[in-house]
Amino acid sequence: GAMRSRGEVDATLQTAKVNPAELLPVVHCLSFGPQAGAGECCLLQLEPGLCAELEAGRSLVIRGEKDEQAVLCSKDKTYDMKIADTSNMLLFIPGCKTPEQLNADQASCNIIHSQIAGFGNNYWELRRCRPKLKKLRKLLMEDPYEGPDSRKDQTLTFSKYTTEDLLNLIQASEEEILHQLQVIDACKIEGYWRILDFDYEMKLLNHVTQLIDSESWSLSKVPLRTCLEELGSLEPIEMIEHILLSYGRKYIDDAGEVYFEMHEDKICRAIAHMLLQNAVKFNLLEFQEVWQQSVPEGMTTRLDQLKGLALVDKSSRPETIFLLKVEDLPEDNQERFNSLFGIREKWTEVDITPYIQDLCAEKQTVGALLTKYARSSMQNGVKVYNSRRPIS
Amino acid sequence: EAASLARSGGAGGLAQWVLVELQGEVEPRQSGGLAGSLLGDLHYTHEGVPVLIVGHHILYGKVVRLEKPFAVLVKRGASEPGPAGPHACYAVTALIKTKLLFKTRPKPIITNVPKKV
Repeated sequence: GAMRSRGEVDATLQTAKVNPAELLPVVHCLSFGPQAGAGECCLLQLEPGLCAELEAGRSLVIRGEKDEQAVLCSKDKTYDMKIADTSNMLLFIPGCKTPEQLNADQASCNIIHSQIAGFGNNYWELRRCRPKLKKLRKLLMEDPYEGPDSRKDQTLTFSKYTTEDLLNLIQASEEEILHQLQVIDACKIEGYWRILDFDYEMKLLNHVTQLIDSESWSLSKVPLRTCLEELGSLEPIEMIEHILLSYGRKYIDDAGEVYFEMHEDKICRAIAHMLLQNAVKFNLLEFQEVWQQSVPEGMTTRLDQLKGLALVDKSSRPETIFLLKVEDLPEDNQERFNSLFGIREKWTEVDITPYIQDLCAEKQTVGALLTKYARSSMQNGVKVYNSRRPIS
Repeated sequence: EAASLARSGGAGGLAQWVLVELQGEVEPRQSGGLAGSLLGDLHYTHEGVPVLIVGHHILYGKVVRLEKPFAVLVKRGASEPGPAGPHACYAVTALIKTKLLFKTRPKPIITNVPKKV
């Protein structure tokens, strides 16, 4: 239809008994654009920081397979997406000016024809969430790296993932994914991210710890160069360096030589893992003895090194210990608690904390999680937590 | 699959749009649907109060600076059939930092019908 004229606008004002003298001279005549009803536009409510990111030219990405709930990722954060309904009608209008803008603009025109681009009564709401990283380990565990001699790698296998592949499959931001790859000691082999097969990893670690022992090196000053020279004939040098990086802190001395300060706790923990994976459970005292004997000279084993890896059963006679890895447990909060209460009916806070710590959202405490998902009671003078639901 | 919300268009910053929030539904007067039809005239008083004249109603509102701005997403490849919802491909076309909120009940405009003599 024909566009409204100033005359028609003034006539409407007169009919409405609105005094034009009380108004700014510019009127916006609003009409529905050709695509307004098509539903091609929608609104996304931005959390703090995201607006600035968009204005700086950075992208946001929506990630999720059809069977997953979509998340939105910025460069370093992940958000759940949810539709929020409003009882009001929202119209989005390009080229519509605010009174501030009109007062600042000395334009001569007094009529702006604005087309409504779209409308609706809902928008996408964002809520910061934990990145969904369990899938990352799952994907990399499809084909762990067993070393160059493994016959497996010579066959064509499609269970290998580049950074790009992982970005497409994992519901997390790029920074969160790269950080997690570091946390799980993944390494890039021929362009693909790989996790080491545990036995191969222990084999590499053993080469290093035996060398440390035979050379009588201090655990805080393990020379990279000598390791590569001595072990390079046994294993690829990239793997030797990788195991040193995984189990030590790299530093350079004043002479420019590269050394590693070995992580005593992490090495003891890995050796415990190796021992515990061979049976359902162990006599605690026997295990502690074998464990101490198995770690490198100069290292001291402590049960608190095994948080999130193994659990001690103090109620059995004799006391026992068994492998329970937090990374094997469900990622969803409720499912995690169900799983934990299925393993043990009542937990002390000390015992359960390593198994729920990773569930804490930004600024959330373990205490808050326990309040929400568990019920507390006293047992023998000690506070314990059990399920809110009846055990099936 | 990942849908990237990159900025559409390259030059300059993102466009700034305005949100108008009204009570109730918007219904087409003609059977032909909304496209192309007029909504109404939007004025501002000297004090910056938005005044919207829609049909036989006057609405008075206020300019609200949004604490949480909106991004306007437009479906890419809109003419092709494809997955609906968040899994489709979207581009950020504009930002909305301001809304015109019309919460007051519309005042009907009473027109004087001239008497026939």
